[in-house]
Amino acid sequence: MADTGGDNGPGKKAADKMFSLKKWNAVAMWSWDVECDTCAICRVQVMDACLRCQAENKQEDCVVVWGECNHSFHNCCMSLWVKQNNRCPLCQQEWVVQRIGK
Amino acid sequence: MYVERNKNLHQKHFAQQASFWAQKITMSLKPRRVDFSETWGKILATVRGVITLSKVPRPTWNDRFSDVYALCVAYPEPLAEQLYNETKNFLEQHVQSLYKIVNSSLDNLLATYHAYWQEYSKGAEYMNQLYGYLNSQYIRKQKLSDADLAYGHGIDLDEQLMEIGELALDIWRRLMIEPLKGNLVQQLLQEIEKDREGEQTNQAILHGVINSFVHVEEYNKKGLLKLYQDLFEKRFLEETGRYYRKEAGRYLTGTTCSEYMEKVIQRLSDEEMRSRKFLHPSSYDKVTHECQQRFVADHLRFLHGECHDMVRKDRREDMRRMYTLLRTVHNGLMLMVQEVEDHIKETGLDAISNITGDNLPTQFVESVLEVHSRFSHMIQKTLSGDQQFICALDKACSSIVNSRQDQRSPCKSPEWLAKYCDMLLKRSTKGMSESEVDDKLSASITVFKYLDDKDVYQKFYSKMLAKRLIQGNSVSMDAEEAMINRLKQACGYEFTNKLHRMYTDINVSAEHNKKFNEWMRENKEELGIHFNIYVLQAGAWPLGLTNPSPLNIPQELEKSVKMFDMFYKERFNGRKLTWLHQLCNGEVRTCFLKKSYIITLSMYQMAVLLLFNGSDKLTMAEIQSSTQMAEGELGKNVQSLVDAKLLINLDGKEQLTPNVVLTVNVEYTNKRTKFKIPALYQKETVQEVEQAHKAVDEDRKLYLQAAIVRIMKARKALKHNTLIQEVISQSRARFNPSISMIKRCIEQLINKEYIARSNDAADEYTYIA
Ligand SMILES: [Zn+2]
Ligand SMILES: [Zn+2]
Ligand SMILES: [Zn+2]
Repeated sequence: MADTGGDNGPGKKAADKMFSLKKWNAVAMWSWDVECDTCAICRVQVMDACLRCQAENKQEDCVVVWGECNHSFHNCCMSLWVKQNNRCPLCQQEWVVQRIGK
Repeated sequence: MYVERNKNLHQKHFAQQASFWAQKITMSLKPRRVDFSETWGKILATVRGVITLSKVPRPTWNDRFSDVYALCVAYPEPLAEQLYNETKNFLEQHVQSLYKIVNSSLDNLLATYHAYWQEYSKGAEYMNQLYGYLNSQYIRKQKLSDADLAYGHGIDLDEQLMEIGELALDIWRRLMIEPLKGNLVQQLLQEIEKDREGEQTNQAILHGVINSFVHVEEYNKKGLLKLYQDLFEKRFLEETGRYYRKEAGRYLTGTTCSEYMEKVIQRLSDEEMRSRKFLHPSSYDKVTHECQQRFVADHLRFLHGECHDMVRKDRREDMRRMYTLLRTVHNGLMLMVQEVEDHIKETGLDAISNITGDNLPTQFVESVLEVHSRFSHMIQKTLSGDQQFICALDKACSSIVNSRQDQRSPCKSPEWLAKYCDMLLKRSTKGMSESEVDDKLSASITVFKYLDDKDVYQKFYSKMLAKRLIQGNSVSMDAEEAMINRLKQACGYEFTNKLHRMYTDINVSAEHNKKFNEWMRENKEELGIHFNIYVLQAGAWPLGLTNPSPLNIPQELEKSVKMFDMFYKERFNGRKLTWLHQLCNGEVRTCFLKKSYIITLSMYQMAVLLLFNGSDKLTMAEIQSSTQMAEGELGKNVQSLVDAKLLINLDGKEQLTPNVVLTVNVEYTNKRTKFKIPALYQKETVQEVEQAHKAVDEDRKLYLQAAIVRIMKARKALKHNTLIQEVISQSRARFNPSISMIKRCIEQLINKEYIARSNDAADEYTYIA
């Protein structure tokens, strides 16, 4: 056992890698790509379902919607909002859907 | 003919008579003149024999049967009424003469009465048959219908005609029982008392006499038992009460409660047998009830006084007796139930206060389960599994489980129970078989059901589940799923929703890895390392409680990050990935030693070690600027590598100050070729537990708000108090919410315009759609 170290120590070549990477067990977390974590309409975090969906146990269906203005809300919160007011609650621009999360 | 006492023979005989009668009618249909005195004389002679069960030759019987017919259809006037009156006279005289005999045999009253009753009642049946034609053609037709009776019509009921059998019994009742009843009943009661004292009595006579009170009313369909009850049963029950009140008093002097109960149970069962020997079945329950009142209800204080000791000393036989007795009287069991509850509670609290050492969770759970199973077994075996005691067990266990070990801090039980499950679900060398683990997890649900703060349990459980899943040290995914399903069954879908999402994330991640590898092949790309990823859904996982240190991803990993990001963005819309370095790990191989080692390390350790591919020596400051790690985190990780002898601290100083120089230990040796650098999993700190409780509070607020929205949406408008009650009842399955917290949530929802204060009524809220 002691012999392994003794041989290699002095003869090490500088260019060789000392450690090579074999395996990486990575962990990542996904979340909606939003500027603000909280839905400004219901004031619940967008990663959690809005209160109405939580009350009805429809957490899985509660996705996020982005407008052309880049503001985002729960899709269900926004659908109710636009029935009364077709402007983004944050910047007052006309609400045009840019994309819906999936 | 009448010596044939056998019922079957008797019926056969009657059938013969019927056919004879039919024959006779065809023979002499024509009514004829009949001399009443002469015919009645013949009938009377035969009837005297019939009523005393003397032998009547068949031809004579047949002739009398036709005589009755002849009188009923006599020309020019039917003589039925006369026949009826004469027969009635005869029976009355007969019974009166019997009465004289019976009444004069006072010392032998019951036996004499019984003998004549036997004869007379049988004889009356035969007479009823002999008068078959009179009964069916004359009396039944004249008898008023029930409807006529109901409307009254002012008819004197005494003038009612009766079939001959009924007439005979009615006469017996009037002329025998009535005048004799005082003596009769008194003697019956004396005899039964003798029986209770263990003396010899004649069951046939006693039962026969008593039953005659029912039998004489045989035709009285509505009031069959009235005579029996008025004449006998009422007095008998009084007498029974008197007798056993005295007995109970006698037993109480100089006996222990245990002896008293034993005697009483014996006495009760004897008396039940006695009822069956002597009485009409309708009396059985009344007698038993009377005895229970005298032995149990009258002495509840005495019996209750014994419950405390008996329950605590676990005197099973006494408990069984006590239960048998107390259950029979109204509210008798309440005190015993309370004693059992208190005792279980004390036993359980005692058991859990005695636990010490390092595996507190296991000791706690197994102590509670032991107490639960011991008493639940006892209740099944000794107390007939009575629901009231099962309820007491539940209340006691709930008190035990939710007791606070320290009044100043929250109850430990939810945390301990979660840790117990974690211990069972973690792969390790516990030496337990799969089915043992399964059984223990199932049993843990028993404790879980008693928890008040199920959400606290859930918080700890989810943290531990997260660790097991990410570190891959779960016994099996099947066991994890089974446990989540058990919790779901016990507490509902919503409760396990996040646990289930975690479980699903792991399964979906396996799919991502497979698809990612295919995508890489299609794009002719290679990473050069073995890459595996878990993608977790934010919000579902109890992460991010502690702020992890930042990290500059080692250049060796940059491509993996870039490619997977691309892959993921192609598949999903609007999602972003955050890499959780604190949860990543990796394997590196040493290339500078003859023997090559494979080392498993955390992401931070790996980032430090990989820097030495570029330089022989590095200062702490250089490492810091390349990795961008926070100072504290960096120090701990470098130290762990130095401790593992992979790096050498050239300055030899204790402190890893910024200018300390580090180099790789080129003489590294290890017996094993594959090993792990002990990761710096900080021991769970007090703060972490506190954080968990704080997070639970946050969850509770959200939960309550959702509950309020759900209730208000369904009910549209509600009074303040009703709403509070509804919220409490909906939340109770997972925790006991405080009123002040509910009030705060209502305020918040008013601010968020989910609900509003009603304009119409004070103290009322309305839902805003
Ligand atoms: Zn919202
Ligand atoms: Zn929603
Ligand atoms: Zn906007």
